[in-house]
Amino acid sequence: MRLLRPIVTRLVVALAAFLVWALCVHLAGADLGRAGLGFLRGALGTQYGLSEVLVRTTPLLLAGLGVSVGFQAGFFNIGAEGQIYAGATAATACALALPGLPAPVLLPLGLLAGFAAGAAWALGPGWLKARLGLSEIINTIMLTYVAVNVVGLLVRTALKDPAYPLPVSPATPEGFTLPVLLEGSRLHAGFLVALAAAVGVQLLLRHTAAGFRLRAVGENPRACQVAGIAVGRTVLLAAGASGGLAGLAGAVEIAGVHHKLLEGISPGFGYTAIVVALLGRNRPAGIVLAAVGIAALQVGSSAMQRVAGVPSSIAWIVMGTLVALVLARPALERWRRPAGVEAAS
Amino acid sequence: MAPVPLLSLRDVTKRFGDVVACDGVSLDVSAGEIHALLGENGAGKTTLMNVVYGIYARDGGRITWQGEDARLGSPREAIAAGIGMVHQHFMLVPTLTVAQNVVLGLAPPGHPFPDRRRVEREVGALARHHGLEVDPAAKVGDLSVGEQQRVEILKLLHRDARLLILDEPTAVLTPPEVERLFAVLRRLRGEGRSVILITHRIPEVLALADRITVLRGGRVAAALLAAETNPDDLSRQMIGRPLVRPQRARRQAAPGPGLELEGLRCWDRGVERLAGVSLSVAPGEIVGVAGVDGNGQKELAECVLGLRRASGAVRLAGAALDGLTTAARRRRGLAFVSDDRHHDGLVLGLSLEENYLLGFLSDRRFVRRGVIARRWTSRETAAAIAAFGIAAPGPRAETRLLSGGNQQKLVLARELAGAPRALVALQPSRGLDPGAAEFVGEQLLARREAGCAVLLLSADLEELLWLSDRLVVMYRGRLSAPLENGERGGGIDLTRLGLLMAGQADPGQDPAPCAS
Amino acid sequence: MNAGLLDQLGDLATASVRMATPLALAGLGEAWSERSGLLNIGLEAVMLGGAFAAFLVAAATGSPWLGVGAGAAAGAVVALVHAFLAVTCRADQTVAGLALNFLASGVTSFAFLRLYGRGTDLPSCPVLAAVPVPGLSDIPFLGRVLFHQSALVYLACAALVVSWVVFSRTEWGTRLHAVGENPRGADSVGLSVARLRYLAAAVNGALGGVGGASLTVATLGFFQENITGGRGYIALVVVILGRRHPAGVFLAALMLGAADALQFRVQALGVAIPSQLFIMFPYVATIAVLLFTAGRSRPPAALGLPFDRRER
Repeated sequence: MRLLRPIVTRLVVALAAFLVWALCVHLAGADLGRAGLGFLRGALGTQYGLSEVLVRTTPLLLAGLGVSVGFQAGFFNIGAEGQIYAGATAATACALALPGLPAPVLLPLGLLAGFAAGAAWALGPGWLKARLGLSEIINTIMLTYVAVNVVGLLVRTALKDPAYPLPVSPATPEGFTLPVLLEGSRLHAGFLVALAAAVGVQLLLRHTAAGFRLRAVGENPRACQVAGIAVGRTVLLAAGASGGLAGLAGAVEIAGVHHKLLEGISPGFGYTAIVVALLGRNRPAGIVLAAVGIAALQVGSSAMQRVAGVPSSIAWIVMGTLVALVLARPALERWRRPAGVEAAS
Repeated sequence: MAPVPLLSLRDVTKRFGDVVACDGVSLDVSAGEIHALLGENGAGKTTLMNVVYGIYARDGGRITWQGEDARLGSPREAIAAGIGMVHQHFMLVPTLTVAQNVVLGLAPPGHPFPDRRRVEREVGALARHHGLEVDPAAKVGDLSVGEQQRVEILKLLHRDARLLILDEPTAVLTPPEVERLFAVLRRLRGEGRSVILITHRIPEVLALADRITVLRGGRVAAALLAAETNPDDLSRQMIGRPLVRPQRARRQAAPGPGLELEGLRCWDRGVERLAGVSLSVAPGEIVGVAGVDGNGQKELAECVLGLRRASGAVRLAGAALDGLTTAARRRRGLAFVSDDRHHDGLVLGLSLEENYLLGFLSDRRFVRRGVIARRWTSRETAAAIAAFGIAAPGPRAETRLLSGGNQQKLVLARELAGAPRALVALQPSRGLDPGAAEFVGEQLLARREAGCAVLLLSADLEELLWLSDRLVVMYRGRLSAPLENGERGGGIDLTRLGLLMAGQADPGQDPAPCAS
Repeated sequence: MNAGLLDQLGDLATASVRMATPLALAGLGEAWSERSGLLNIGLEAVMLGGAFAAFLVAAATGSPWLGVGAGAAAGAVVALVHAFLAVTCRADQTVAGLALNFLASGVTSFAFLRLYGRGTDLPSCPVLAAVPVPGLSDIPFLGRVLFHQSALVYLACAALVVSWVVFSRTEWGTRLHAVGENPRGADSVGLSVARLRYLAAAVNGALGGVGGASLTVATLGFFQENITGGRGYIALVVVILGRRHPAGVFLAALMLGAADALQFRVQALGVAIPSQLFIMFPYVATIAVLLFTAGRSRPPAALGLPFDRRER
């Protein structure tokens, strides 16, 4: 019976999330069946829908991996959103600065620039944590706002396209493009990059000494210090890797989807990535599934809005509910145990 | 003495999963009595009292307080009933004053706008009345450990506790402070209050208690009157079997310098923790450092390991270690076994294999070009598990699942596997049952045979006398002159040792390096 | 000419106070919460919930004061959910806060869309009028700035005074402090850590909710999606800048309110300083403050950590 309990509570969580979804659809005055169908068809029913889901999965997966790597080392990277912007900016700037380079050189270079920028953006809070013991939670959030505003500034000034009145950068050169994988869709090779990253992260964390140090420091930094591990340097490495993956997500979005820098390039991918990492329980396979799931939720919700008139903000409601339930689940398990002589805490 | 006992436990049982911490314990405490709860580490003394104090819920049995059935479901209920407890780790708020801590949780006069000065006056009067000298306006964080303990006791007396439970109160006190505490407790007994003293120290029990309950393995081994028993009897009841300790062989003097400490000084938040420590440990020798917790032992270990900045010199086999990182010092052959397995020694969330690997990250057989050699690590861990007799589900199991003794064995296995040149052991057998403690001692002796220089810092005099070739006493960051320890623990004047530990003898207080 | 400049400054000061109010209210509430050891990243959700509830009720009943009450209640509900997750479920407080931010954003957008559709006219609600303090509001310059504001500004000042007194002079404040510094110690003397944290969360929510309400019902008179626009995060920053002391929080809020007001004035004047620099200012300032005061003042020892009596 005890073994069943975790499965039961997980089912309860999934069911509760579904009920919340259904309640919102009902409150929106839409027919449950029609809305459900619209949702499923939009996300999974057509080839285009599926490709859209995978397009959205790409940045969620990359940023989710980044957040997860940070979490495992005890570095709460709440500022992935800002690192995505930093990466997108660096990639755009790099591509615009070197238009003559052939694609096989420019593309990796631009992606690398994105990774480096994201890493650098996380290293600030990482250093503050490693050296001064300052909590990275608030620092990373604040740098997100700085990054978003810096981008706003740049696309109106240094990186502004003179031909357009809108605040956008000039289009990136042809060479900095991730090829489309499926004719007629937006699905681009960035998806493969993300999958490769998932495999890479898994290998690095489980099989290398650096990955081991990261995980150990996240669990018990004092014991690592006593054992001779350089804790500060490991925290910095984790911050850099975490930010780098998020920055890579930004660079991939430029090269695969937008091909220019603009405001709003990330509709909250960085924050959603935290949900992805949580649901994926810090395991790369889980994170892939969670990223696809959340992406499907968001794409399906947009479709549902078009088809049945249910506001797409339903996706945020479901996500928030899901996270809250996942957080409450261990307590639910404890609570359902028989009372007996057990005193209430 | 009242005919009806003040506190009565009948068949009290407490389980944590599969482990039975208290198994059908029954005992009685009368008013105006000092009752000692005696037992080794892990015998269930603290758990039992935590049940009485409402921190844990009991799984079986009855508790009767002042003649009536008592539920005692939370500390609040226990306090309201008149039961108070002083834990080993103090529960004070360091940023508040003594007076504020004493009245915390109660409605002081003028509530909700407390009249600070009046509270301080009242607390000061209470302190003086009971002989617990402490400044009511001082911030608790600035007080010494002994003074903080007095604040804890004042908290209980302010609430007019009829029963005070003290958990190992003398562990952090110097001998004169112990005497002062005993005087306070005797005075409380005279007022008709009762005291339950949780301890493992037999001399104290005999000096202070009226009645004694000996716990062993969660069960009551004996319930005696102090006047009708003696140390040997109690010791036998506590341990349950005669302790046969292998004799320490005559020391084989190895050539060359071992671990040398010269003039070590370190500071922590404005307080000098090490005041010029100098010591030489030769290869193949165990030097024991005796002393009550809090006199600089932990800081000394940390300085040698490079975890704490200090001035002075540390040398290993003639080469200076100053300025080297912990990793570099370990590569030179320095190993460390700590008392705090959960914080210093192991990463509980990782597997046994991974915890073993923690000591070999710079060993090329374990990590080749940044990649972990899984098969080698598994093999080595399995060998260590077998060699040290660690009871575990397997090398991939989570370290959290192991018992305290087995966890310490894992730490030892890892630290000793590299045949270290020098070993620093800080309270290595603390919290272990006698069997496991014996195993630890045997391992230290084995290292000594192999020519390792062992620095043993411990508060356990029996262990020190068994293992040490030479003994020094640490008091307030200073070392006394070394005392030679013969094979059978003879040659050491225990009275003198006690005085040195209390800081009351002056010979040998100079920090000059001592001759081998 | 001088009168003109004085007028401009007066306008700026008045606007600063007005813009600082939501930050001050939410910041004070968060100071209560953090004192007891709860870190509420979901402050944005509290404010958004308060703003929306206030707007709904004020528009429906025609009374902005009922709106304020509704805002306080809604904010308290959000904060109590956070407290439930943090205290009873012992979940990670940061993630819980983020989840609530998602939820609040989704629920308010959803409800707003359902109730008001996507018309081009933004529905409006009645607004609290500025209340002049008799006598004091006639003082030149200061009278206009300090004593001729909406009632919520005075409420914020009252909250400041009450918070200050409670924290430094009452036993309740000492108990909250104990719970935040050493919950195990507080528990051992019979204080209910859970109850005190829930209470602090309720105050956090009520004040934050009023802070959000001040946006719709005191300043703007309308609601739109995500109207709080990150002010909840800025309020967290205000608490750090103010070192968790009520007076410090208040001053920090004023400073940031001034920066906000300055940004609008500068834009109106057509000066070429980009608005983004103003928006970034609070964050950069906070990082600078954190760097300079690192080590000198520390947060409550148990901040952000769940408390479990059975953990030994």
